[in-house]
Amino acid sequence: MRRFRELVGVATAGLTARKVRTLLIMLGPILGVSAIVAAIGINESSKGYLKAKLQQLGTDLIVVNASAGLGFGQDPVIEADAVARVGRLPDVTTVTGTRQLSDIVTVPFAGAEDYYRAFPVPVIATGPELPTTLDVPMVSGRFLNAFDEKSGARVAVIGRDLADEYGYLAGEARTIELNGLEYGVVGVLDWVLLEPSMDSAVFLTFSAAVADWTLDEPDPSRLYVRAPTNTALVAKEIPIVVSLGGPDGASASVPTDLLDAQSQVDESLNNLTKMMGGLALIVGGVGIANVMSISVIQRSSEIGIRRALGHSRGTIAVQFLFEALVVGVFGGIFGALVGAGVVWAVASQRGYTMVLSVAGLAGWALVSVGVAVVAGLYPSSKAARLEPLETLRLG
Amino acid sequence: MGESMVVSDLSPVHESGGEVLLALEGVSRIYGTEVEVRALDDVSLDIRAGEFLSIVGPSGSGKSTMLGLLGVLDLPTEGAVRIRGTDVTLLPDAERSRLRGEAIGFVFQQFHLIPHLTALGNVETALLYRGLTRRQRRSQALAALEQVGLGNRHDHRPVQMSGGEQQRVAIARAISTEPGVVLADEPTGALDSQNAENVLQIFDDLQSPERAVCIVTHDLHVADSASRKISMLDGKIVADDVLRGGVVVGSRL
Repeated sequence: MRRFRELVGVATAGLTARKVRTLLIMLGPILGVSAIVAAIGINESSKGYLKAKLQQLGTDLIVVNASAGLGFGQDPVIEADAVARVGRLPDVTTVTGTRQLSDIVTVPFAGAEDYYRAFPVPVIATGPELPTTLDVPMVSGRFLNAFDEKSGARVAVIGRDLADEYGYLAGEARTIELNGLEYGVVGVLDWVLLEPSMDSAVFLTFSAAVADWTLDEPDPSRLYVRAPTNTALVAKEIPIVVSLGGPDGASASVPTDLLDAQSQVDESLNNLTKMMGGLALIVGGVGIANVMSISVIQRSSEIGIRRALGHSRGTIAVQFLFEALVVGVFGGIFGALVGAGVVWAVASQRGYTMVLSVAGLAGWALVSVGVAVVAGLYPSSKAARLEPLETLRLG
Repeated sequence: MGESMVVSDLSPVHESGGEVLLALEGVSRIYGTEVEVRALDDVSLDIRAGEFLSIVGPSGSGKSTMLGLLGVLDLPTEGAVRIRGTDVTLLPDAERSRLRGEAIGFVFQQFHLIPHLTALGNVETALLYRGLTRRQRRSQALAALEQVGLGNRHDHRPVQMSGGEQQRVAIARAISTEPGVVLADEPTGALDSQNAENVLQIFDDLQSPERAVCIVTHDLHVADSASRKISMLDGKIVADDVLRGGVVVGSRL
């Protein structure tokens, strides 16, 4: 143990005597380990983020968009009876349609008209089951219900971001003006991960939309369909069920498939980064071997004198191996810290929860130690083989 | 020969010498494989405790080779090198190195201090891997530095010291382990006369009944300060004189 401490002391003294060189050869392991740790950490964090998102969205939600039929000059819609047909498909649990209304200026209070004319708030007509279908809770109040739908009452639900923007307090009795018509706000819908535009939208019923606005029929342009089983099959069936060979078309997609694909793209990118990190580690190892070999030649007189002082070949070899070891240890630790820092920075910038395995950090730091020790094998055996008589130049 | 009478007169001198610390027995050292160079040819030599001997000879006479063998930095082609009776040529490197570190202290012409270490660090290097605590190592090294008059310079690096001071640090390093034999290779060769005188004085002070001091030199003044002078030529010992005050008073050949 004492001998070990002495060796570490000698090795660190040798390294601190040449600080710049030591830092330079440490750069290899630092870059390598930090690249790998960062790649893995970012991958895991984003995967964790995507997984959380997938879990939240569910992988069984199908989004159906109406595609242009023969009704030129009109927005494509899915007719109400087509919606009913989709609802009757086996495996489908809920269907909710939406239709975005145009040319409506929503004003929370008098005097804000100019601003909201320039930056219009989306107004969406929808049915009572939207929160159920999207699996999004209410922040406060209630969503539109069957009575609203039936009566065509002027009630509205607003998205969470819009509520913040309006300074809406939970439960507050408040009205907003839609092109001068007053609507009572009955609730606030929480964030909709799948459709962030809904966060700053106003929701009202189809019946109100038909009564107050230019909508002729309560036909949605988009459907949200929940099908817990056979999701992919249902997604294929829907366009057929909607058009029934007629002119009306629809395209269905499962948005979480996109996320899945996204995570796979990330994976290959991260593999590339990992490979490059591995390469940096290997190149760093070659650098250590290279620089230390030169160092051994430059320090041949030191080696000779140590031999004369009674240090055996083995001790000399271990001394130089320890120098490599110290480079590997500190390179590994710094590299892991830098990598963790990068993961933290990226995670906080993209709003991920940072996922970092401590065992992984230690593991990659150990890999750096291993690479450094392997790299130190050649120079240290070279140092051990030096003949003291040749380096001391007697007489 | 008149000398033989002197030898018999002085025979008690070498018989009363102390324990044999270092011995060469029929040692030859041949360099080169294709062209053989016999640097040392069947040489035998005993170095006893209490002796202060010098080895002299022209360049190429084999004195450096002999120093390398005496210091166990090199191994002979033939013959045995014994440290207190143990033939080191038969030992593995680790064991041989340990014996070398214990039995022999080196002083070199070029000082050979480790540049990145302080004076104290350099002396402590000789005390590593001996099972000493840090404190013991430090106090032993400081004591050695005190002995050469550099106790107050212990935190200076070699570049901050004069040649004479560096050589004194090297001497402190050589004696810090309390070796039986101090081997010096032209210890004054790189010094001006004043510093050389100081260093020689230190070597003179190093003499003790338990210790042998051996200086390899081509400086006759240095050689004559010893009590035994070995002269080399062409790889052989050609004279082994006993000196008193620089005057040859006997021969051991």
